[in-house]
Amino acid sequence: MIKVDRVNKRYKEDQYALVDCSLEIDRGEFVFVVGASGSGKSTLLRLLLREERPDSGQVWVAGKELASMPGWKVPFFRRNIGAIFQDFRLLPNKSVFDNVAFALEVIGKSKRHILTQVPQMLELVGLHDKQDRFPDELSGGEQQRVAIARAFINRPLILLADEPTGNLDPENSWSVMGLLERINRTGTTVLMATHDVGIVDSMRRRVIELDHGEIKRDQNRGVYGLGQQSS
Amino acid sequence: MAISLEYVVKETTGNLWRNRLMSLAAVLTISVSLALAGASLLLKQGVSTATSQWKGGVQLLIFMHPTATTAQTKAVSNQLKSLPEIKSYFYMDQAKSYVEFKQLMANSPELVQSVTQSQIPPSFRVVLKNPNDAPSVGSLFQQQAGVKDVNFNRGAINTMLHVTSIVQLVIVALAIILLISASVLILNVIRVAIFSRRREVAVMKLVGATNWFIRIPFMLEGMIQGLVGALVAVVAVVGIQALFEYVVAHFQVAVLSNFLVSSHDVLMTELFVVAMGIIVGTAGSAFAVRRYLEV
Repeated sequence: MIKVDRVNKRYKEDQYALVDCSLEIDRGEFVFVVGASGSGKSTLLRLLLREERPDSGQVWVAGKELASMPGWKVPFFRRNIGAIFQDFRLLPNKSVFDNVAFALEVIGKSKRHILTQVPQMLELVGLHDKQDRFPDELSGGEQQRVAIARAFINRPLILLADEPTGNLDPENSWSVMGLLERINRTGTTVLMATHDVGIVDSMRRRVIELDHGEIKRDQNRGVYGLGQQSS
Repeated sequence: MAISLEYVVKETTGNLWRNRLMSLAAVLTISVSLALAGASLLLKQGVSTATSQWKGGVQLLIFMHPTATTAQTKAVSNQLKSLPEIKSYFYMDQAKSYVEFKQLMANSPELVQSVTQSQIPPSFRVVLKNPNDAPSVGSLFQQQAGVKDVNFNRGAINTMLHVTSIVQLVIVALAIILLISASVLILNVIRVAIFSRRREVAVMKLVGATNWFIRIPFMLEGMIQGLVGALVAVVAVVGIQALFEYVVAHFQVAVLSNFLVSSHDVLMTELFVVAMGIIVGTAGSAFAVRRYLEV
């Protein structure tokens, strides 16, 4: 589903964001990407969204090679990818319903399609009774669930999550993680960059650790820090 | 995956309303510049009809009586041929003169209808080696049999042509400067619109909206500003023309008596004004979109 092959990326001379990075993720996997700030987590996600191109190497996502993909194809590629972020990126002047509907509207879906899909998706994330609220009337956890509904409305093959619990208290974090797990169970590949030790340790999923742009560790059923590996 | 009309209309009008003051400034600048450009075009067309008889350096007009015999015409022609002061001349027969008359009087259809071709005087159009000879040569023909009138108004015509060409140059220069500032204003309006909607644009990119889908509302916004500005200018041009006709009619400006602009010329000018408005609006916004909207 995702294959990163000997990718190098740097933003400035002598300042590498990713160094000779190779990894492979299969369909339906749930993968944590961990590492300190500046270790290259965000760069990796940006490469997978084709917001950046690698300096060298290849990036395969959902059967497409991104480094050589022409710009006009990128929007169509992104329709197969869902993405959520630490800051939710909701539109403050639109209601919950309209925020989710917006994702369908701007790719030219019909009104009928929107009116059937959006309530279903809000039901899934448990916010169908709040569809007329505005983002600033919701808690952080609820806002992130709206963002998830928007990211998942096109049933993407892959969901990229860049520190989705970074702004949330533990309770809300867990509700978001539960949702991501359910989405993963539908067969969607989930790749989540995070700092949250508790979540990584208790979920027992594959963990890829980045350090200064290099893959330091890649283990199935891993935990956050090497030192805490006890079982 | 058609772009929904409803979406585009909603976005575009929303943007225009949010930036209404700036949009108004851009629209007004476009109207003023295009009204000037249109007025200058009308001036040019007016001068060209008013001086059409004098085209090609003609300095002397000898009008024959409509009833002049062939012999009388022939006599004038022979004499013109023999005069050393004359560089060249040609004869406008009644048919050609009638066509010219209809053009000159295009705005007075009742006059055109009341005059028949047989009432139109044919004329000789004479180019002299030295324009100063016009009065002396003209006087030779004044009393000749069959000659109705001799006209050597070249001096006044020359001054008029000269003055109008300068006036026109100034107006056109002014219009160009204003058009440039109008496109810069539109560029800025669109830039502000893009900035104020950067969240929406970011989300659109994220969920896979195509580049044109993101661009079109902004481009349309600039185009509409250009179009509205042009429509205001269209009204202004009609007003300017009406004012001019009023001045000519009520103050009996002799040298301008033939200074008429046909409705066809007005129509072409208006079309030009509208096209320019759309071009300036679209160009300004296209530039802003290219420059400030990284898609």
